[in-house]
Amino acid sequence: MIAWTPERTRKLRITLVVLFVVLAFGAWFGWYKFFRVVPQPPFDTADERFMYGSIGAEDNAGIPYWILYVLPRVFPDKLPGPNGYASFGLAWEMGKELPIGFTKKTIGFERVANNCAGCHVASYRLSPNDKPKFVPTGPNHTFNLEAFFRFLVDCARDPRFNSTTLMNEINLDANLSWIDKQIYRFVLIPVTRKRLLERGPRFAWIYNHGLPQWPDWGRGRDDAMNLTKYFLTTSPLDDTLGPTDMPSVWNLKKYKTREGTRMNFAGDSWDANSVIIDSALGLLGAAPASNQVFLDEVRWLNKYLDEYQAPKFPFPIDQAKARAGKAVFDANCMRCHWSERTGTVVPVEEVGTDIERIKSWNKDAAIRSNETVKAFGIERRGLVEANPTGYIAAFLDGIWLRAPYLHNGSVPTLRDLLTPVKDRPKIFYRGYDVYDPLNVGFISLEEQAKRLGASWDTVKYVGTPYDVTWRSNGNIGHVYGVDLPPGDKDALLEYLKTL
Amino acid sequence: MDRWRRRFWILLAVVVGVPLLIGIMLAMRFLPDRPVTYANIEDHFKYGSTGGERNAGFPLWMWKALPVVFADKLPKNGGVGYEAFGMVYEEDEHGRRRELPVGMMRRRNLGIDRVFVNCAVCHVTTVREAPDKKPKVYVATGAAHFDLGLLEKFLTDIVVDERFTADVLVPAIEKQSGGRLSLLDRYLVYPVAVALARERLLMLRNRFLPLDFESWGPGRVDTWNSAKAGLNFNISLLPEHERRGATDFPSIWNQHKRKHRDDGKPMALHWTGNNTEVNERNLSAAFGTGATPATVDHAAIERLQNWLLNAAPPPFPFPIDKAKAARGALVYGEYCASCHGKSGQDFSGKYVGHVTPIAVVGTDPDHYASYTYELSASQNTLYAGTPYRFTHFRKTAGYANAPLDGIWLRAPYLHNGSVPTLRELLDPPTRRPTFYRGYDVFDPVRVGFVSDVPEQNGRRFTLYDTSKPTKSNRGHTFGAKLPSADKDAIVEYMKTF
Repeated sequence: MIAWTPERTRKLRITLVVLFVVLAFGAWFGWYKFFRVVPQPPFDTADERFMYGSIGAEDNAGIPYWILYVLPRVFPDKLPGPNGYASFGLAWEMGKELPIGFTKKTIGFERVANNCAGCHVASYRLSPNDKPKFVPTGPNHTFNLEAFFRFLVDCARDPRFNSTTLMNEINLDANLSWIDKQIYRFVLIPVTRKRLLERGPRFAWIYNHGLPQWPDWGRGRDDAMNLTKYFLTTSPLDDTLGPTDMPSVWNLKKYKTREGTRMNFAGDSWDANSVIIDSALGLLGAAPASNQVFLDEVRWLNKYLDEYQAPKFPFPIDQAKARAGKAVFDANCMRCHWSERTGTVVPVEEVGTDIERIKSWNKDAAIRSNETVKAFGIERRGLVEANPTGYIAAFLDGIWLRAPYLHNGSVPTLRDLLTPVKDRPKIFYRGYDVYDPLNVGFISLEEQAKRLGASWDTVKYVGTPYDVTWRSNGNIGHVYGVDLPPGDKDALLEYLKTL
Repeated sequence: MDRWRRRFWILLAVVVGVPLLIGIMLAMRFLPDRPVTYANIEDHFKYGSTGGERNAGFPLWMWKALPVVFADKLPKNGGVGYEAFGMVYEEDEHGRRRELPVGMMRRRNLGIDRVFVNCAVCHVTTVREAPDKKPKVYVATGAAHFDLGLLEKFLTDIVVDERFTADVLVPAIEKQSGGRLSLLDRYLVYPVAVALARERLLMLRNRFLPLDFESWGPGRVDTWNSAKAGLNFNISLLPEHERRGATDFPSIWNQHKRKHRDDGKPMALHWTGNNTEVNERNLSAAFGTGATPATVDHAAIERLQNWLLNAAPPPFPFPIDKAKAARGALVYGEYCASCHGKSGQDFSGKYVGHVTPIAVVGTDPDHYASYTYELSASQNTLYAGTPYRFTHFRKTAGYANAPLDGIWLRAPYLHNGSVPTLRELLDPPTRRPTFYRGYDVFDPVRVGFVSDVPEQNGRRFTLYDTSKPTKSNRGHTFGAKLPSADKDAIVEYMKTF
């Protein structure tokens, strides 16, 4: 039995106070170095916010700044090309610290994650010596997202991903304090490695790629519905494959002001708001840290994307010819692309395009996804709980910048799309950004490179090859207008440039 | 009690005092970080620190021992030691040959004197007015005779040589020190230094090996592929035309005047005009001296920067025919001034500091192609986390129109150093298909270094073959149709620049 003399009580009190102070300091230190949220500096323009603003992905999916910084220097052998992060075909504004779509935010330490702009900013050049021009909300047809996913996991799987090797490289470029060096060495590097490794098994299906049965996505495409299945829900891997073009996301108002429209290439989602939420959750990789902050950002995105208009065709247009083309359009294309039918599902039997994308999604996956999002406490109209049956008849605004064409990007130019299937290009290169105003699309073939003074070697070196005979890559279907007289096709192309 | 007290104090002295003393001694030995500095700014430029020694510095005695141990790996051109690379040794105030050549800096760091190349190694040259005259050293211009490529080849070769071990090198270091190595030095400091140097050189070798060092030749460097190598780009995967692009070392004086051109904007700098910010360009070049964002000595570099703002080129050291120069000024004004400025002092001109498209200027395109949009993207990340982060690098459409201040000392001409003299530059048919670089005797008539001498006093010079990649002497044919007398007059006028 302890006698509680005043002396002992005093000692206990002092001990408790000291203990409390130490613990409080430790807690504050832990909070400061790992959880303290510093808001991003405000953006000058809405475009800047779209391109570099956080959507909340740093919490769970953010990679410590200096680790991301040195990865291409430590693992150049794991990049798809010899140019650092630029090898992924990221849209990168000159003078900017990070590529478009990469967001930097301090949550305890500086972290980098992604936002919508990574896949939804288009770039084009008017000639081989021109600088790229960037169009927010356009499709990023140059970005090799699959290679980027693989790069992060490949680095983590390599024995060089250790604190000694990474710190050697970091110390060349960063003036970190002693404490921060220890945090990187003993916490951030091992934890990041573990987190990246966890992604590996769920990416197993993209490691099959490079075979005719499993073509790479290549530049400008992603397998959106499989990403949803395997990352938003934990559906077991099936053997489906449905890579599609990164879509443009400008002028979303067009979907909202017309009844019966649906979103995504196969009409899998009810409305734009649901697509924004689901895509953003994909980037977060987990439930948002705060639903309120997240939904505020979603509201802002809705508004920004509703209003953003497709850019004008940047070359001269022959107006008389375009007017003649309007008549051809009205007679041949309007039925689907400027009518009640636009934005709604056309049965795959009717349009005849490659069916694999449809097979990559199903009713069960939709139900599971909707349940997952609901469990996060987020209300949205959501995914259509039915097996998809066809493809959306697309709105054609800014169609000139949405090359290559069809949902899977299997036809390089609009002129090729107006050609019978047997004469469409069988192998071409995606991801080179010099524009061909004659055929309406990007340089993807040797003939175009020669005609426009581009080096074909460079096109092949920059781009990724696309073989239409590989699974899900078929360029069949959508044979409308292929039998038109050449003059009508020219006129129609001229008109399409005006949209 | 007294005895125990004494024992206690003795014990305390042994347990605490001795380690403390040793600790202090070690700290005094290994902690100081002290550059060798110079009051005179030109000396500071030639021998002063950029901070790169902290990262890349060789121990002084090891640096001196390398060409002795690996004499067989030196270029076989008759040069001795580092002079075989075209490096120059000056005499100190007592008339003794300096311990280090021009362009080597020195810093006490990690307990030893560490040395490495600084800005001057590529931006100091020598000129002799006649074969029997003494060489005169000129600062802040291109090092016309220094073969950086061969020096890099030497360093990346020796690191994989079986003699690159402490067993071989420490005795050689001991010899260089004049037998002054302590036991600590001999058995700990230098063996560790050799191991660290090997680690660093192996990294250099891994990253830089795809570069074709031997194709550079004296006075030239493949700047952008070196930058790619520094970022550890996998250069061997680049398309061939992006993988090579050696150019002449430029002059770096008069930087302040380059901050303004006729339209009020800063001039496009570098051969391709890929940056408009003088300070950014300087920090970018400082990577070559080992100065990384974590090791750079900003104060020392800023001192150089401030000096270079207004450093002026030296006057032409031979007589000038004033009347002829005055005639030349008129022709020059008509044919050259809009792109190259009114004179060597007045840089005004509509196109000065602008970029001329590659197809218009028509010179060798390799250097232009070697600078890519993709590289500029990664350069945006350099100096991240500091106020110095690079934000001005751009891919341009051709080569920049440079002011011609001190042009006489910037031979050979064109970005790739493919035309030996100014007179030949104005007369394309007379441009020589091959010539020699490395000889520092000056030709005051045609204006440029004497370049038809393959050898002198047992020192062989380097053949420049204009039919080889990066070395074409084509293009820039402006003024080619002028009468011969007018060309002579223009050259005379340019001597005043």
